[in-house]
Amino acid sequence: MAEANLNRHHASQRSLAKRLFEPPSVGKMAPATSAFVYTILALWTLFVIFPLYWVLITSFKLPQTVNEGPFYIPFVDFTPSLHAWQTLMVTNFGDTVRSFANSMVIALGSTVFCIAIGSMAAYALARIQYKPKVGSIVIFVVLLIAATIITVAVGLDWRLVFAAALAIFFLLLRALSKHFTKHLTNNDILFWVISQRILPPIVVIIPIYMMFQSIGLVDTHVGLILAYACANLPIVVWLMYDFFAAVPIEMEESAQLDGATRLFIFWDIVLPLTRPGLAATTLLTMILCWNEYLLAVFLSTSNAQTMPILVAAMNAGDRGVLWWSMCVVIIVMIVPVIAMAVILQRFIAKGVLTGAVKG
Amino acid sequence: MSIANQRASVTFDKVAKSFGSVSVLEELTLAVEPGEFLVLLGASGSGKTTALRILAGLETPSSGNVIIGDTTVTEMLPKYRDVAMVFQSYALYPHKTVAENIGFPLKVRGVAPAEMNAAILDAARQVELVPLLERYPRQLSGGQRQRVALARAIVRRPAVFLMDEPLSNLDAKLRGHMRAELKHMQHELGITTIYVTHDQIEAMTLAHRVAILEKGILQQLATPKEIYNNPANLFVAGFIGAPPMNFLKGKLQDGLFEMQGGRLGTSIKSSLGEATLGLRPEDAHISSAKTPAFQGHIYTNELIGDHTLVTANIHGQMLTVKAPKEFSGAPGDAIGIDAPANAAYLFDASNGMRLR
Repeated sequence: MAEANLNRHHASQRSLAKRLFEPPSVGKMAPATSAFVYTILALWTLFVIFPLYWVLITSFKLPQTVNEGPFYIPFVDFTPSLHAWQTLMVTNFGDTVRSFANSMVIALGSTVFCIAIGSMAAYALARIQYKPKVGSIVIFVVLLIAATIITVAVGLDWRLVFAAALAIFFLLLRALSKHFTKHLTNNDILFWVISQRILPPIVVIIPIYMMFQSIGLVDTHVGLILAYACANLPIVVWLMYDFFAAVPIEMEESAQLDGATRLFIFWDIVLPLTRPGLAATTLLTMILCWNEYLLAVFLSTSNAQTMPILVAAMNAGDRGVLWWSMCVVIIVMIVPVIAMAVILQRFIAKGVLTGAVKG
Repeated sequence: MSIANQRASVTFDKVAKSFGSVSVLEELTLAVEPGEFLVLLGASGSGKTTALRILAGLETPSSGNVIIGDTTVTEMLPKYRDVAMVFQSYALYPHKTVAENIGFPLKVRGVAPAEMNAAILDAARQVELVPLLERYPRQLSGGQRQRVALARAIVRRPAVFLMDEPLSNLDAKLRGHMRAELKHMQHELGITTIYVTHDQIEAMTLAHRVAILEKGILQQLATPKEIYNNPANLFVAGFIGAPPMNFLKGKLQDGLFEMQGGRLGTSIKSSLGEATLGLRPEDAHISSAKTPAFQGHIYTNELIGDHTLVTANIHGQMLTVKAPKEFSGAPGDAIGIDAPANAAYLFDASNGMRLR
């Protein structure tokens, strides 16, 4: 009896601290933790939302309102004006809509290209075991360098030199490849692919510019689509690889036994099952292409000018920074991204593979 | 290209498979009769699944030939072999309904919709899935998913059925039920079936003949009865039977098996310095005779239900006996065990070969 009382006493003494600081179950937070976490989250939300709010209200400010500012609340602090909207949507409508259309065409074009090529490459890497021999790769690289040097230094016709190099390569391969034992694996290839993305793009921008110039791709849609596709392919391959590798191989083996071709299996079984991954990767690629600035600034001047360049242009005039106009362009830029996210969001749901295997 | 014969025979002709320097299957030669239910039985790593995958065309043998019907299929792509396979994981397509899953092999073959629907309905009826045709795999129980996988295999009436541990993901009760269903279905359809399992009860109950594999080597190929009554070697003897056969080490002197604490006269009239005596728990009995064959102490006893398993310690060697459920001995009690001479199996302890 006394012991029971003691226990109860002990329990009530601990109960306040316990209730505040101990989580009631593994899946729940303690009230004190919960309060702390939500406070941080609320502050962070404000921190994230405020710039968007600021962009929105600035787009309705007159130049003098901006300069005399800061003003925070429309109709209270300042009188909103459609002045900036009118400039961009009526007076300079042609310019705005051209940049918007350029961005759309280039972002969509390179995304489609990237996803189509990248997902097939990722699928191949996830399913087919490649064993390129190190020795063969070394021979290839050495011959490539030699052929380039000969072409440049001796001045022979490059077609002749490279044809000869290719012939030598195949001859050497036939003679030597069976002596090479060390080979690379799919993981090496995958790392090589993603390593393309490790260098900052500024490193390659000048060679790309010169290449594009010599084949007339500077300031064209095709040029930017190609450049963006190359820049983002590694990311697509890298992300999609994991999604394809997660598809149980028995499903494909079963389909194969039932008579399906590889392309049919990819289209009818694998792609539907990786749809969440595909949607997420598409969205990411879209956003990367849509926001890209560095390549665009080098590779487009007027004809293929994209939205980020238009935003930057608001900073470059002789009238100082046109904050109000810049904000209008930014809002126009945000809308399609949000629309894309909303459209693709319903595909980015989990649990597609449930029920595939096991009981 | 496909093999037209509904009841095809299957032949493995010296089929071997190694991955690098690791040999998983060593020159397997095996002939399966048309319409036969053959079970490949073995522990994990015995090469049984590899043999099945080679037959399906999912692996290529390192050497040897696979023949289905009259056609050598060794180099043939899986889809031309006219085999259907049920995977351990079922491999259902989660984004397709039950009907679409069952109809997949027909869709791939470009069968007309009307004909396809009739075939789907027919297959679904056989496995009692008709009310569930519009569901998705995730909405089904384990047993139902398993039946979808079966229906997908039977829908196109293949020449050969391949099954890779199809029941191992089901709970014990459902497994027993599905086992009976499978046996019945195979009997009805009469399609040659090759079934891989590590479960000796599945093998014994389902098979016309059982092929026991161990370390890539075929140990014995015989009817379940023959395998139980006449195991070829120590491995087979220990693998088949539940609870497993007792093995006692001793020496054989002109047909008399002797060990510390026991001696048993056998019908094998030979001598061997290091012999192993095999004795099934169900063949031995507890004896109250003054001089039983084996004398020891009770190590433990387990009441199973209709019988008790009594394990005796015979001078350091364990001997399990099936006793009546009324048996009431306590661990440590002295115990005597007897067995008839014809119940003894004798093996050469050095290589596991059966002495006859």
